[in-house]
This record gives sequence, structure tokens and C-alpha cells, in this order.
Amino acid sequence: MPAPISSVLIIGGSGFLGCHLVDLFYKLTPRPEIHILDIRPPPALSPNFYSFNPDDISFHKGDITDPDSLRAIFRVTKPDVIIHSASPVHGMGKDIYFKVNVDGTQTIVDVALEQEFWSTIKAVVYTSSASVIYDGSDLKNADETFEFPEVAMDAYNETKVLGEQIVLSANGKGAGLKTCALRPSGLFGPGDRQLVPGMLAVLKTNGTLFQLGDNMNLFDFTYIGNVAHAHVLAAQKLLDGDVSDVAGEAFFITNDAPVYFFTMPRTIWAHKGYVPKFIISMPRGVGMTLAYLSELFSKMRGKEALFTRFRVAFTCANRYFNISKAVKRLGYTPTVGLEEGVIKTLQWLDEEEAARNEAAKKEN
Amino acid sequence: MSKYLQLIAHPQELRAVLQWAIWHEPLYPRDPSKESDNLKRCYELLGYTSRSFAAVIEELAPELREAVVLFYLVLRGLDTIEDDMTIPNTVKLPILRSFHELLTKEGWTFNGSQEKDKVVLEEFDKVIYEFSLLKPIYRDIIAEMTKRMGNGMADYCEDDDFNKKGVNTVKEYDLYCHYVAGIVGEGLTRLSVSGGSSDPRLLENPHLHNSMGLFLQKTNIIRDFHEDLLDNRKFWPKEIWSKYADSMEDFVRPEYTETGVHCLSELVANALEHVPDCLYYLAAVKEQTMFNFCAIPQVMAIATLELVFQNKNVLTSHVKIRRGTSVMLIMRATSVRETYNIFQEYCHKIHARNTPKDPNYMRISIACAKVDQFIETIFPTRKEVKDKIAKEEKPEETASTTEVLTIILLFGGTLLITSSLMLGVAWFFGARFDLAFASIKENFLGIADAARDEL
Repeated sequence: MPAPISSVLIIGGSGFLGCHLVDLFYKLTPRPEIHILDIRPPPALSPNFYSFNPDDISFHKGDITDPDSLRAIFRVTKPDVIIHSASPVHGMGKDIYFKVNVDGTQTIVDVALEQEFWSTIKAVVYTSSASVIYDGSDLKNADETFEFPEVAMDAYNETKVLGEQIVLSANGKGAGLKTCALRPSGLFGPGDRQLVPGMLAVLKTNGTLFQLGDNMNLFDFTYIGNVAHAHVLAAQKLLDGDVSDVAGEAFFITNDAPVYFFTMPRTIWAHKGYVPKFIISMPRGVGMTLAYLSELFSKMRGKEALFTRFRVAFTCANRYFNISKAVKRLGYTPTVGLEEGVIKTLQWLDEEEAARNEAAKKEN
Repeated sequence: MSKYLQLIAHPQELRAVLQWAIWHEPLYPRDPSKESDNLKRCYELLGYTSRSFAAVIEELAPELREAVVLFYLVLRGLDTIEDDMTIPNTVKLPILRSFHELLTKEGWTFNGSQEKDKVVLEEFDKVIYEFSLLKPIYRDIIAEMTKRMGNGMADYCEDDDFNKKGVNTVKEYDLYCHYVAGIVGEGLTRLSVSGGSSDPRLLENPHLHNSMGLFLQKTNIIRDFHEDLLDNRKFWPKEIWSKYADSMEDFVRPEYTETGVHCLSELVANALEHVPDCLYYLAAVKEQTMFNFCAIPQVMAIATLELVFQNKNVLTSHVKIRRGTSVMLIMRATSVRETYNIFQEYCHKIHARNTPKDPNYMRISIACAKVDQFIETIFPTRKEVKDKIAKEEKPEETASTTEVLTIILLFGGTLLITSSLMLGVAWFFGARFDLAFASIKENFLGIADAARDEL
């Protein structure tokens, strides 16, 4: 039996992953008190995909870069575990990344280590990213022995590395705070605004016939519920007695089912009833050249390019991970398979669309 | 005749067949002059009954070779009794259940069988005699495996439901394959570990040798669909085929071809999921002849699986890998790395033919990718890349004048034609240019390094 959690504070609990974290902590017996710290309250959620009663969850509006705001919330919520999942979405700019991922994380850790909270806050679980080790080259079966690149690929990755280091170096400090970091890869699931919707968008623009590269590159996509599950396991482990092999450690989290990159979009399209009749595959080099031109034209027209070299490189790269460490030490195994996850996500998107149409009708 | 035509159409395979026929010599050739007549007869019996594997068994190192030959003949005897529908259960069941005891009953033979391999039973006294000469440890392993298999077979014979309807669930499918193949895998593993040919840790991970057996058995069950159906035997689990048709006989009908192919895919995915275990197992087989013995059936199975995948002919006929392909696989599957390469090549072919039209599209993709991932754990690219960067050295070229070029063109052309003819002939008969190049390169780099060191 894992140690019971009396109160959990989920920072970023209104976000994509946050809502699933709430959902899984809610399912624990005994059920902990669940608190959300975010800049906005959680959205209205479909009971078909989230089972918790929103009335049982307390929402606290707060600013993670403001120590006073944090102290006040910690005093009220008395969490024994903090899950730190707040992270700005991609495309917000370097300053925001640093403010949230570095300054915010540092403030959370600093306040949690203040003597006042020694007797309450026992553990911090940080949501990192599998991209922290990305150096632009292929990641084949990467595990936790891979080091951070000397120069980060972009500002987002750079700040996620720093955030992870802040949290892990706080392990053992204060009255023996325990921390760990989880590095999920390629998240999708109900609430997804990027991955599956992005692949569905290709269906609308008739881009399904094109394939960049030879489709021999493997990619790890991860169902959001499995990532949330890993967080619950990590929190429970950290509260357990002897956790020397979990505390202070980072773990890759995936569905343990890498697939050839185009398997994912094609499965999504197939579930939408569409199978490309033939495939036009474009070597990576040609793709890169076209992307360069596309970036150039977009720049001249003052627009943001959609077809970029980064996207080409991303599509053609190997990016898959070995999660043996999480399996052994956290006891993690994915509970929802890749295809089951795709089906759930599509059902959720259908429901969203139906709700939107309904709302539009009412307005008319 | 078509066999020969196929060979001409695949020159690489023709090359392999010729090389094998002309140059191949076993590492530990048998010496019949030192064998008793009785033992010689056992080898003959093996040749009559085992067809493809007799050759591989005969290449094993001497001590284990005899144990494996006898294990094989004992199982062949058991199997012949089980398969023989003319033997009534009142006679059959007691024999199956006590077969392990008959192994020590001097002079025992059985003459009531009509099966094609009945000769093994008719001369079983010879098997019993050789069995008595084996080391006790081998005898114990063979007897125990025989006991478990015999009882397993008897249970299936008594199970009317199984005999009428075939295999029901996927779990039952795994269990059936365990009885007919997984136990053989265990027996061979224990023999091999006892003989010092395999890592003893294999015994601590029984799912590995079980997977070895299941992978082979499932591949055969998938491929033999049509043949088994004609014999009124049904091994495809209902839990799988019932998703695609109301009865297994439907698949033979043209209107069921598409769903039949999808059903095949699900079975192929199910079999492919054993591959990482099989590859893991092979890495633990240390002794060369034992490695070949284990690896050859496995590479044949992956080649067969690739052949049956998305292949509608399986539903209406008996498909088989070409003889030349087999020989080429036998020649290649002699090291862990090369065996992994073979698996990877076939998995990539499966992946290339996989289509989102198939409901098992993603599952197949995951299963193939798992093979890539497993190979990556054993042979990490990251390390190879580092080693390569460390080794790289580029010799500088000097510019040539037009005169030299003309001379090279005139004289070199003739030389080129003659030498490529010679090299072609050499290649055809088995010259290993890859090894030659590797050694030249190594020597060259060695000289370059030495020269640099001196400066």
C-alpha cells in the first residue's frame, strides 16, 4: 500500500495536463484534498472524459513568481505534495519562458523550503519535458544517461532544463524535501489543442499524400492520462519511506510504444475514415530546401511560416526513449494504449465540435 | 523445375546455394566410423523425419548433438502417436501419459501406427538404447519434458470441445503453443545450459524460451491455415478470427479475402510481439553451433511471417519461403548482429507494406518499432557514432594530368573488364570482399597512424 496523500497542490492544474492530474488524484482512495493553483480557473469539462466533481476541488488564483502569493496559498492548502506542472504554451516568447519556468520554479522551491513549511510540504514532483536532452540530432532509445546539450535548441528547452535542475537540486534540502522530475514526450489526449488537432488540420488541407523523409524514424507519443498516472505514482513513491532511487531523479515517461512517425497521423486519419490512396514521399533534404523558401517568403510577406525547417527536422527525426527506469523504480506502465488514446482524443474533439455548433446555433 | 527458375531469378540466392553446396563444412563433422550401428541408425531416423532441421542438428558440437538428436526422436515418437487418428484414445492416452517411462523400457517398440513417421516408433528400441548412454543430467531433462508434453497432449486429446471447435481464446492459443513448442524450447535451453553452451541466466527468465517456441509455432499455425483447414484442424483462436468472419471456412471464399487478410495481420502482430524476447534469448547463446541451431529456425520464421503478411494466398494455398532464401538465411544467421539485421530487414519490409486500411495498422507499427528499439538497446547507435568519429581519417588525393587520364582510360579499361569478370566469378563462389576491404582499410589506417606517430 502506498502512503496516503492528505493534500495535493497542483500548480498549473487548470491546464491540459493539470485537469488529468486532478482527475487521477481524485480517483485515489483515500481521496486527498485537491487544490489547484493557476492563473485561471479550470475550464468546464466533459463528464465523459473527466470523472471528478468540480465542487470538490479548490481553486486558488496565484502568481508563482510572487513569494507572498505562494506563502498564502501554501498556508491555506497545507499540501504534503506539490505537483508543479505550470508551463507556458509554445510560442509565448523567451521572456515568459524564463519568468515561468525558471523564476517561477525557483520561487516555488524557495518558499516550499522555508522553515514554516517544513512540517507540511514533503515532496515536489516537477513536470519537465523529454526535449531537455534534445540537441538537434536523433534521439534513439534515449534514457536518463543522456546528458543535457551544451547549447539548448531553443529558449523553451533551455528554461525547462533550468527548471528541472532547480527542482532536483532542492532534493534533501530543508527538512529532507523529496523531489523528482518527469519528462514526458509528445503529449496528446482529451484537452489537446496541438498534436491531434494539428494532424487533423492536415486532413483539411489535403496534405495527407505527402510524406517527409522515409518514415523509418521512430517517435514517442504519449497519452496524457498515462503521464498523469506517472505523476501520481511519483508522488506516492516520494511520500514512501525509502525512496533513494526516486528522490532527486528524472524519469522519461512515454507510452512505451514508439511508432514510425507517420503511423500516428495516418491512424488518426483512418479513424476519420480517410486513407491516402498513394503517398508522395519527399526526401528530407528537399523538404528542408522547400521549408527554407517557405520561411523566406513568409518573412517577406511579414507572416509566420507554417512549413518550417524546424517542422521538417522534427518530422524526420528519431525521438524515442527507453523508459526502463520509470518502469523499475516508479512501477510505471502505461494504462491506456496508443490507439485507445487516439480514439478517446477524437471522441473528445467530436464532442467539443458538437458543443461549439450547438452554441453557434443558439446565438443565431 | 520452377525451383531452378526461381534461383535464376534471384542470383544472390543462387550464389548462396552454390556456395553452401561447394564450400560448406561443419565445424564439428560427424565421424561415422567411430559411431555404433545403432547410433548411425538414429541419425538416419532423424534424416527421415526431420527434413529441414536434421542438417542443423547434425552440426551441433558432439556431446549436445547426441542429446538433441535423441530429444528430437523422442518428441517425434510422441507426436506421431498423438497425430495418428487411427489409434483409439483407449490405447493412445496411456502411451502419451507414460511415454517418459517407456524411455527406460529396454526393447520397447510400437507397431500400430499408420503415420508417415511411424518408422521411429517401430525402431524405438534403438532410441531407448542410445538414450540410456546419455549423461544422467540430459536423460533427466528429456524425461521431464517428455512427461509434461505427453500429459499436455493427452489433455488436448481428451478435450472434446478443443477437438471440435479448435482454439477459443488468445490465452488458450498461447497455452496450446506452450505445450507443443514452449516446452521444447525449455528442454533445449536446459540441455544447452547443462552443456555449457548458453548463459545459465536463461533459466531464470522462462518467458524467453517460451517466446522462442511460441514465435515458431504461431508462425507455422498462421502459414498452415489452409492445410490445417483441409485436415479439419483449427488453431487460429476464435477470439481473433471471429472479429473478421462467422467461421474460419469463410476466409477461403473470395468475398472474405479482405477481412481474411486483416485477420492475418492481427495474428502476425500477435506473433511479432514475441520477437524482442527471441532476440534477447539469442544474445545469451554462447557456443557457435548452438547459436546457429537456435537462430536458423527463428530467421526462417521471421521470413515466413513477412511472406504471409498481407498475403491473400495464405487463405487458399500453402505458401512457403523459397529454398534459396532459406539457404541464404542459414548462411547469414551465424552471429547476433547479423541475425538482428535479418530480423530488422524483414520487420522493415512488414512496416513498408503496412497500411492504415488495416485495423491492425498501429499494432503492427508498434510491434515492428519494438524490434528496432530492442536492437538499439543491444547495439546502441550513439556508441557506434562515437567510435566512427574517433576512427575517421581521410587520405588526400593528388591531382591527375590529362595524359595520365588517357593512359588510365586505354589500359585501365581493359584491365577493369578482365578484373571485374574475375572478381564476379570469385564473388559468385563465395569470396568475402567485405572482409577483405575491412582488413585493407584497417591496415591502411594502421600505417597512417604509425606514420603520424613517428612525425
